[in-house]
Amino acid sequence: MTLFDIIFTGSRQALEAAKATVAAAVEKKGSDARVAFPETAYSLPTIYAATGKKIGSLGELRDALSIVESLIVPEQNLEKALNAGLATALSAEIIEACKYAVEEKPYSEPCAGFISDAVIRSLGVPLVTGDIPGVAVVLGEAPSAEEAAKIIKGYQNKGLLVFLVGKIIDQAIEGKVKMGLELRVIPLGYDVTSVIHVVTVAIRAALIFGAVPPGNLEELLKYTKERVPAFVNALGSLSGLVVSAGAGAIALGFPVITDQDVQEVPHYLIVQKDYDKIVPTSLEARGIKIKITEVPIPVGFAAAFEGERVRKED
Amino acid sequence: MENCACNTCDAATKKLYEKAKSERIDTIWDRALAMQPQCGFGEMGLCCTNCSMGPCRIVKISEDGPKAGICGATEDTITSRNFARAVAAGAAAHSDHGRDIALALYHAGDKTRIRNEEKLFKIAGEWGITVEGKDTVQIAREMAERALGEFGKVFGKLQFLQRAPEKRIKLWDELGVAPGAIDREIVEVLHSTHMGCDADYRNIIRQAIRAALSDGWGGSMIGTELSDVLFGTPMPKKVEANLGVLKKECVNIVVHGHDPTLSEAIVLASRDPELLELARKQGAEGINVVGMCCTGNEIAMRQGIPMAGDFFQQELAIVTGAVEAMIVDVQCIMPSLATVAKCYHTKLITTSPKAKIPGAIHIEFNEQKSLEIARRIVKDAVMNFKNRKVEVFIPDDKSEGRIGYSFEAIIKALDRVTNSFAHPSGTVKPLVDAIKSGVLRGAAAIVGCNNHRQPHNTCHVTLAKELLKRDIIVVTTGCGAHACIKAGLMDKDARKYCGKGLATVCELLDIPPVLHMGSCVDISRILVLLSEVAKYMGVDISDLPVAAAAPEWMSEKAQSIGLYAVASGVYVILGVPPAVTGSENVTGYLTKGLESVLGGRFEIENDPVEAAAKIAAHVENRRKRLGI
Repeated sequence: MTLFDIIFTGSRQALEAAKATVAAAVEKKGSDARVAFPETAYSLPTIYAATGKKIGSLGELRDALSIVESLIVPEQNLEKALNAGLATALSAEIIEACKYAVEEKPYSEPCAGFISDAVIRSLGVPLVTGDIPGVAVVLGEAPSAEEAAKIIKGYQNKGLLVFLVGKIIDQAIEGKVKMGLELRVIPLGYDVTSVIHVVTVAIRAALIFGAVPPGNLEELLKYTKERVPAFVNALGSLSGLVVSAGAGAIALGFPVITDQDVQEVPHYLIVQKDYDKIVPTSLEARGIKIKITEVPIPVGFAAAFEGERVRKED
Repeated sequence: MENCACNTCDAATKKLYEKAKSERIDTIWDRALAMQPQCGFGEMGLCCTNCSMGPCRIVKISEDGPKAGICGATEDTITSRNFARAVAAGAAAHSDHGRDIALALYHAGDKTRIRNEEKLFKIAGEWGITVEGKDTVQIAREMAERALGEFGKVFGKLQFLQRAPEKRIKLWDELGVAPGAIDREIVEVLHSTHMGCDADYRNIIRQAIRAALSDGWGGSMIGTELSDVLFGTPMPKKVEANLGVLKKECVNIVVHGHDPTLSEAIVLASRDPELLELARKQGAEGINVVGMCCTGNEIAMRQGIPMAGDFFQQELAIVTGAVEAMIVDVQCIMPSLATVAKCYHTKLITTSPKAKIPGAIHIEFNEQKSLEIARRIVKDAVMNFKNRKVEVFIPDDKSEGRIGYSFEAIIKALDRVTNSFAHPSGTVKPLVDAIKSGVLRGAAAIVGCNNHRQPHNTCHVTLAKELLKRDIIVVTTGCGAHACIKAGLMDKDARKYCGKGLATVCELLDIPPVLHMGSCVDISRILVLLSEVAKYMGVDISDLPVAAAAPEWMSEKAQSIGLYAVASGVYVILGVPPAVTGSENVTGYLTKGLESVLGGRFEIENDPVEAAAKIAAHVENRRKRLGI
């Protein structure tokens, strides 16, 4: 199968899953039931930014499925492949929105799920000043907790904001990575669809700080590519769905670095099998240059540790 | 041809054609119109003049006309012989060009005249020339001798064939088409197409293939590679193009023809402070050297000299009234230039003993005294500034583009997207990844000439735009390059014509979507690029999602180029049919049969939109075969 075909297949799977999830939610709550993420003024941020439409109910969410469907056109070219990637992102948002519509509290410790507007606003200044030099999205599973911790701490030490999705969260805990917003390591969720919660961070950054008008997809993608220094590390076996989500990241201008055998795409999809080199490979791929003064001390030293609380048991 | 003789999409050409008309000067379009209708026997290749029993013709349109020549040669024999002779002539033109470059290298004399030592050493390594303990001049001389040997060596095969992918080399050997010495292959075509010799069209075309391959992988490649050694390997730079590059206030010198040894020397001489001072004394602001056709491509690629125009614009350059001297060497120089020049003050100066024109001034050029002669020519031009007769009219049409994409420059551009922690540098890997992933669907070369049978430049430009929107990257040389740069396709802004994939590649590599790879001999650069990509992928050239097109071709050189591309495994679209259509067998062999033998074939398609669709279909077919 060609790389584009894998993406189209994954996007279709995501769409099918979204359809089923919405149908189940409507079944349970009715099509008038309210749909909203907590503490945000941007409704479902991805759909809002892409279409300019705010979604208020499950019925409206069901209607939004046709937008997703229209984005999946299996023609063999990059434009269509990236659109399919965006479709996967929209499907993920729809699935995640259903979770919030159906359940009172779909996410619990250690997972953060949806990130509130307030948090994004608090991250805005350090992102602009370069105090947060980049945003790493690490998803999947590293070969061991040790490797996982090494990669996550590698970013943490350089002051990057790290989001975790999937089994890597457990590996991070096992690897004794200290987590939390103030430590700049945020576990999002175990389902791959929870990666959308970092996508909406980038998208809301464009809406809030970039003043990108909702519905102007082209300008949105330009902003995320040029101004949000994010990248993705996709570790462990890659399903078609993950690959198509990766295409969504590429559409936003974020390179994907993986430890798996896939067809590389210059600049955007890079294979790095040496775990010691994943961090520098990723930083170079996103053009992140870190101004560092190495202080030879036996513990991690970075702005990421500023909010750390030393507990009694530590 | 319709009644409006000048059929072009280029504004400057249109304006100057009108000026020529008003001044009652005949140009190529008028002569083409006067020639109508052209002879159908010749058009179909059914006329043979190879002996004095002829001329013979085969009559196809009626039952009772002759079906064989007086000697008994059939339409198959006659058309294939005519085609083979055209290929041999084309191969001869390129090869003699290559020989002159090799001679120039031999006579280089001192180290300062070899501008690219690195490439010298690289080729030396490839050819097994030891460099230890030798100085640069000595190595250059040894390489030149070896290169000159390629033209007439008694045994063995051409050195540069080794650059091809292994599978291709093997195929050529099996088919018996791997060329030995360049001149030998050309002579053999002339021998076997003599009266009473080879009558088997397949065998005649086989001979032509050997001659063509001795051009692409011999004469042309020697010409390109040794020109790089002598004058530097082209690297990206901005240039201006079209007749608007002539300057009213300056002494304008047009160099036209092919061999860079002359044009490079003219460029050097034009920068001589003494001559510049002389120009000022004559009332000129400076000396403006511009290039035309392939020699124009050579000095544009290496020195950033403006590209004044293509084959069909050569007469029109003089019609501006602003050209003090047009200096020519060999190939594609219309003899009518002498007549046109007479109406103005322009001095037409021929320089090669191989190409004299009645009515022109002949100042013979030779490589040993190149600068001296060039200074004399430039001085003549400067002194001619005061003699301008008519009111000067320079159209304000010019465009800008980024050119200079040698193989080496392309590799350097590709390094921009390698990750230093994950990838090797200096390879074609990023290009292969872009193609394998589908970001780029394929690549196509647009080459060739201008021809009154096709609307001027329109076919080149339309074809290029049609390919760009399908994410097929375009490389170009020769007059195809002139057409593309004039249409703005080598500008950054040309990304607007591209599909998302190609636009992304252009942005990442900081390249235009149409890459100017040089002159017609520089098509050898395309062979090198194809070979490197094929070798990296572990396949043959014929497996790659690539194609070539010569939408407005006219010369015998173009036929040699077309055939060596086919013989190297490339699908080649011709916008004008070669004179073989009188034989269904020969036409069928070239457009279908050859594919099963060589993996490449010709296609005849005069509509550029259709041509693009065919290239896209071919590219997708090859992708499918590769499973990508």
